[in-house]
Amino acid sequence: MHSLFQFFRIIDLAGMSRYRWILALLAIFYSSLSICTASIVRPISESHRSAALELFVPVDESFGSLENTYEALRTLEILGLEKTYDISRATCKAVLETLGSSPSITKDLFYALKVNGILKCQIEAINFEGIASNMLAVLKNANSLPDFYYSIGSLLLIKKHGFEVILPDSDGAFHSIKALSQSDGRWRYDSNGAESSTYAAGMALEALAGIVFLADSEVDQSMIGVVKNDIVKLFDIIKSYNDGTLYFNDKYVHSSDYKSPLEISAAVVRGVTSFAEVSSGKLNIPGNKILGLAKFFLSIGVPGSSKDLFHQIESLSCLENNRIYIPLVISLPGTVLSLTSRDQLKVDVTTVFGAAAPPLSVKLVQAFNSNSEGKPIIENQELHFDKENSIHYLDIASLKMDVGKYKLIFEVSLHNLEDESKYATGGLTSFSAFFTGSIKIDKGELAILNSDGGSAETIEKLDLSKDSFLSLSANHLQKFRLSFQLTTPLGHTFKPHQVFLKLRHETKVEHLFVIDSSARQYKLILDFLGLVEKFYYLSGKYDIELTVGDATMENSFLRTLGFVELDLPEPPEKAAQPPPQPADPYLRYGPKQEISHIFRAPEKRPPKELSLAFLALTFLPLIGFIIGLTKLGVNLKLFPSSPGPAAFSILFHAGIAAVLLLYGLFWLKLDLFTALKALCFLGPFLVFVGHRTLSHLASTSAKLKSS
Amino acid sequence: MAKMLFLPLLILLLFLFECESFSAENPTDRRLLVLVDDLAIRSSHSLYFKFLESRGYVLEFRLADDPKLALQRYGHYLYDGLVIFSPSVQRFGGSLDQAAVLDFVDAGHDLILAADSYASDLIRGIASECGVDFDEDPDAVVIDHVGYAVSEIDGEHTLIAADDFIQSDVILGEKKIEAPVLFRGIGHSVNPASTLVLKVLSASPSAYSASPKTKLSTPSITGSTIALVSVVQARNNARMLISGSLDLFSNRHEKSGNEQFVTEISKWVFHERGHLKAVNVTHHRVAELAEPAMYRINDDLEYSIEIYEWSGSSWKPYVADDVQVQFYMMSPYVLKSLSTDLKGLYFTSFKVPDVYGVFQFKVEYQRLGYTSLSLSKQIPVRPFRHNEYERFIPAAFPYYGASFSTMAGFFIFTIVYLYNK
Amino acid sequence: MAKSTSSDVLTLIRSLRSAYAATPTNLKVVYMGIVGSFPFNSFLSGVLSCVGTAVLAVCLRIQVNKENKEFKDLPPERAFADFVLCNLVLHLVIMNFLG
Repeated sequence: MHSLFQFFRIIDLAGMSRYRWILALLAIFYSSLSICTASIVRPISESHRSAALELFVPVDESFGSLENTYEALRTLEILGLEKTYDISRATCKAVLETLGSSPSITKDLFYALKVNGILKCQIEAINFEGIASNMLAVLKNANSLPDFYYSIGSLLLIKKHGFEVILPDSDGAFHSIKALSQSDGRWRYDSNGAESSTYAAGMALEALAGIVFLADSEVDQSMIGVVKNDIVKLFDIIKSYNDGTLYFNDKYVHSSDYKSPLEISAAVVRGVTSFAEVSSGKLNIPGNKILGLAKFFLSIGVPGSSKDLFHQIESLSCLENNRIYIPLVISLPGTVLSLTSRDQLKVDVTTVFGAAAPPLSVKLVQAFNSNSEGKPIIENQELHFDKENSIHYLDIASLKMDVGKYKLIFEVSLHNLEDESKYATGGLTSFSAFFTGSIKIDKGELAILNSDGGSAETIEKLDLSKDSFLSLSANHLQKFRLSFQLTTPLGHTFKPHQVFLKLRHETKVEHLFVIDSSARQYKLILDFLGLVEKFYYLSGKYDIELTVGDATMENSFLRTLGFVELDLPEPPEKAAQPPPQPADPYLRYGPKQEISHIFRAPEKRPPKELSLAFLALTFLPLIGFIIGLTKLGVNLKLFPSSPGPAAFSILFHAGIAAVLLLYGLFWLKLDLFTALKALCFLGPFLVFVGHRTLSHLASTSAKLKSS
Repeated sequence: MAKMLFLPLLILLLFLFECESFSAENPTDRRLLVLVDDLAIRSSHSLYFKFLESRGYVLEFRLADDPKLALQRYGHYLYDGLVIFSPSVQRFGGSLDQAAVLDFVDAGHDLILAADSYASDLIRGIASECGVDFDEDPDAVVIDHVGYAVSEIDGEHTLIAADDFIQSDVILGEKKIEAPVLFRGIGHSVNPASTLVLKVLSASPSAYSASPKTKLSTPSITGSTIALVSVVQARNNARMLISGSLDLFSNRHEKSGNEQFVTEISKWVFHERGHLKAVNVTHHRVAELAEPAMYRINDDLEYSIEIYEWSGSSWKPYVADDVQVQFYMMSPYVLKSLSTDLKGLYFTSFKVPDVYGVFQFKVEYQRLGYTSLSLSKQIPVRPFRHNEYERFIPAAFPYYGASFSTMAGFFIFTIVYLYNK
Repeated sequence: MAKSTSSDVLTLIRSLRSAYAATPTNLKVVYMGIVGSFPFNSFLSGVLSCVGTAVLAVCLRIQVNKENKEFKDLPPERAFADFVLCNLVLHLVIMNFLG
């Protein structure tokens, strides 16, 4: 963008009318190339601070490892919240332990020193001489980038604590680090590895900056120049999203070594800004790229993890105070502006942390309506500056802009010339904004027309600002007409995105119609004759619903208009069935009707009395038999008199009686096998006595016969 | 010798530890594979992942096109649940593809699938195999000009506020979700004939699915038929959540009902609620304790069953008043509601019908949001034995009388006959 | 005279016995017509007992009757023993079936 200024100046200086319009065209072409469509980025705000307080919560007065502690303390320090937690006791103890034991792992030492730099613990007892000499020894033997980085970083921190540190061979160290660089601007981690990485480039640049700072003699300026070129090459491989944010990323290696774009970009920002601090002269990086990086960090919003928040906040703080370009962020606090409530178009220009920008003015260069492409509605409006809230604003009511979706292009121009080399403003930035308003809807009319010539059977006026409850009736030979007009607050015809008419039958089958506009009116004519098949020949009550809505319409509505009783002919044989409606899920799952088995009715039994009567009757023949016998004069003459045969006879008859009684018992209680067992005893006995009796009788009668 | 024993023992121990992860006794999943488009989702959706980890799940994040992805090894599944938060992936990496994901679900594991306005065909394909059809227009999103979330910076009305929830305490938890859920994404429609898919969150009647940038032709789904979030409970009780918006799970919308909605429904998807098991089916005759091998018609029997619900950490008794048992042979002869003692025991008693044959005690319990219980136990029913019939029936007294009188007559006759002159 | 008397008596006894045995059968059939054959087994055993005794009585009479040529050699006691045995078996069956 500052090159753009130079461009315009060239045009002015040229002064030749012939070439002016060509140059102007070229200028416009160039400016359109450098427009970044901005996504909504907002500077760091209270939500970041509250997120920081939520994410960084000390457990038992400590944040965990020294690395985590440093991240937490640094984030809270940048956001101005360092007084919230008092963890000095436990943490200082850990720091003292680490420093006192002079560990061989330089990373722990590095973080311990960083923590101490913020907490400022009591460290008189620490032998910094010893630690410094350890670090120098590590530096001399270092051959991988992490070793360089941590040792140089520790030495730098020791110097910042106030102890004098002398780097004996700064050129040698510089060369060894530089040897790891690649031609595309990236760095390798060590001389053995083949993979180059952008993250390593960030570490390397920070280490080189540390060497330059610690060097007792001046480092070779040509080397610094070479490094500056490397930085420019590094920025050439920057990646971008569509909305103008820029970031660094590496090829995805493996999930354990994975570093997110945020981490990598943060490392690069740290390295580049610290190198810019120590090198004289300017780094040749365009301001757009710095601004793109700043927008990347801001567009993350409020990260959910503590490490991500640390990287975001720390990188932004580096960018806030860097020597290359300080990014200024243009943001719109509200992009939905209401004409009804007479909102103001407000533009905020601040640093990434929301601090005030240097004096500048904002101009609305062009405003395009998304409908009328190409022709700008408004051009070159200067925004007013509100000193109290330090916000630039414009009254849109005075602009006479109608409702709709607009593309607004803003340009920031700094008042002081020297600020232009310090701040990056990003040239022309465009935003899309919605101007909403209340749409007037009138001349609503609902009519049922006869198919011949359009004589109307019923016409009803509609008030579409509330629900209506009309009831109409029609048959398949008639037509249905709905018409209304929509006008914007400025009086133009309005074409909303959604204009539907829905007809819903009692069986919940729905039909949707999109209403088209013609000239100034929205009109829908439904010819039922042609729609009979579409309606599946279902006659009955159809509820009418009208939905009108648009993104820029403040009073979008869904209105029931009433119902129409449709009379359609009978469906023919092969008519399509209406689509099945979903069963109510609550009914589907209910408990089922109970069933209980109906037992077979027991046989009709006669009343007890009848049975008893017949029982008596059955005994009658027996009695009759006995009486008959006595009448016949039956006698027992043949009964043997002598005791032997008499006994046998008695036994015989007793046996028979016993058997019959046994049968009676069997019927009452016993089962077949027991009865048979008893019978086995009685049987032979009976046979025996029977034989004797009968033979006796036979002999008696024979005797009688013979005599 | 000891060394030789040691190794198999170690392997056995390892197996035991692995078995702890998922079993019928402990149905809550443990290990979840989360597929993402870009690992920044770990940070932008950190609240949701933190919630899952706090419930005890072990999450493994992978890029969706990571070439080393695998769901199973040597026929053994490595994960218990799958979360696909990668709406724009064209092809999964490794050995994963649409068929592998569906096999995973068929094996009884759970799935959470989130699509978004740039959902790829692969994601749409998986969703349609599960019974959910996203809008075919690839640019369409759900727009609602009446029920949108009012915001100063978003004027497209694509972030809509929906509060048309399904009425189910099991799926959505007992606490009512007061604030509406803010949703930005694509809508889908659910096949109305399907009995397995449920719409958990539907759009309001004025919503429609279209692209905000182009002029509108007839939208394919409008109004309340647009489902924003659906769940599917398959017949093998695997549960799937299909959401049209990945944004729903993110940290961004703080004052909405999003967090409560998403956490409650995740609890349901991972079987912390609504997972039933039925044990201890017993039946016996009324006065006895032992279970007979066969019943006789017109017996009185008692049937009891215990039903428990998994609460995420233990089995708790399930209390309901609509569990029913059927006594079934080709069609239910008896269908009775079981009464409960509120400690998970359900019982009832009824009379065996007077039809004999091979019957089944069938308990088929299907309620909205609960796993379906389907148990049956076969039991034969025999007719009367010859000595089980009614005896001494008053109606038959004449016959008894006749028989006995015949016997008496016979006896008298023998006496008389022999000795008559 | 005695013989003829005895044979007359015997005949009378027979006929009486037969009548006696037959009546309950008719009664029972009438009863069944009224009530229905519910305890069919009891009905059958009742009917069978009457019919059976009647049959056996007739058999006895036939065997004992001296004018019957076929059974001339059969001593009447033997016939009676058969009669008793058959009756006992018949009654066993009836008791079992009576239920």
